[in-house]
Amino acid sequence: MNISVNQTQGRVPVAVLSVQGDLDASNYQELIAKARELYHTGTHQILLDLSGASFVSSSGLVAIHSIALLLHGEQPPDLEQGWSAIHAVGRGLVAGPQQHLKLLNPQPKVDRTLEKAGLKEFFEIHADLATAIASF
Amino acid sequence: MALKADRDAIDDMIQAVDESATNIIVHGYRDRPSNIEIEVTQEGNALVVRLRDQAPLFDPTRAPPSDVTLPLERRRFGGLGIHLTRRFTDSVTYRIPSEGGNELTLRKKVKGEGNK
Repeated sequence: MNISVNQTQGRVPVAVLSVQGDLDASNYQELIAKARELYHTGTHQILLDLSGASFVSSSGLVAIHSIALLLHGEQPPDLEQGWSAIHAVGRGLVAGPQQHLKLLNPQPKVDRTLEKAGLKEFFEIHADLATAIASF
Repeated sequence: MALKADRDAIDDMIQAVDESATNIIVHGYRDRPSNIEIEVTQEGNALVVRLRDQAPLFDPTRAPPSDVTLPLERRRFGGLGIHLTRRFTDSVTYRIPSEGGNELTLRKKVKGEGNK
């Protein structure tokens, strides 16, 4: 998996975090770490570009949820504590679509994973970059 | 013998195998270097994958189903892997082989004649 970041400016600054390749148990912590780094340097809006993500496992979904938690100002999971800490996430977020983390253009296979996990209703999913940036 | 399965069935099975193998590695072997035997066969109109391991006995099919209707703030992610395994396959069964260990069998129906 490769991760790239592009800082953009809409009504508010938005970091576009792009994932290329498979997002799974072997690398999901890298994505959380990158988001944490962005958050600690002042980023509060992230558009997660999944157009290049060919596969997202449940670990990847945990990463997405953890980033939402982080941007909501909640204590992010302590990766040093391993999976027990990661599995403890799932609380602290307000109900409804997340305002600080939105998703861009997931491939159909990844979109199905989001759907089967019951996560689609919690995230705005955009098909167009400009529209997505303007939505923040 | 070549296996015949449509792309969607293969993708679904890859997702299910990834989730199952990850659970074995993380929860069964606790990240220690170990082996997982993966057997892929076609039985009738079903793609069948069996995962065998020598981790402590654990039957993931007895895990309670995840409630994906819960709001996000009440959602637990501990069972998400087995939840996705169930959702991406037609059946998930478990047995203890005579030689010991765990055997998880995943079945996914494939499309009929003219499989792509």
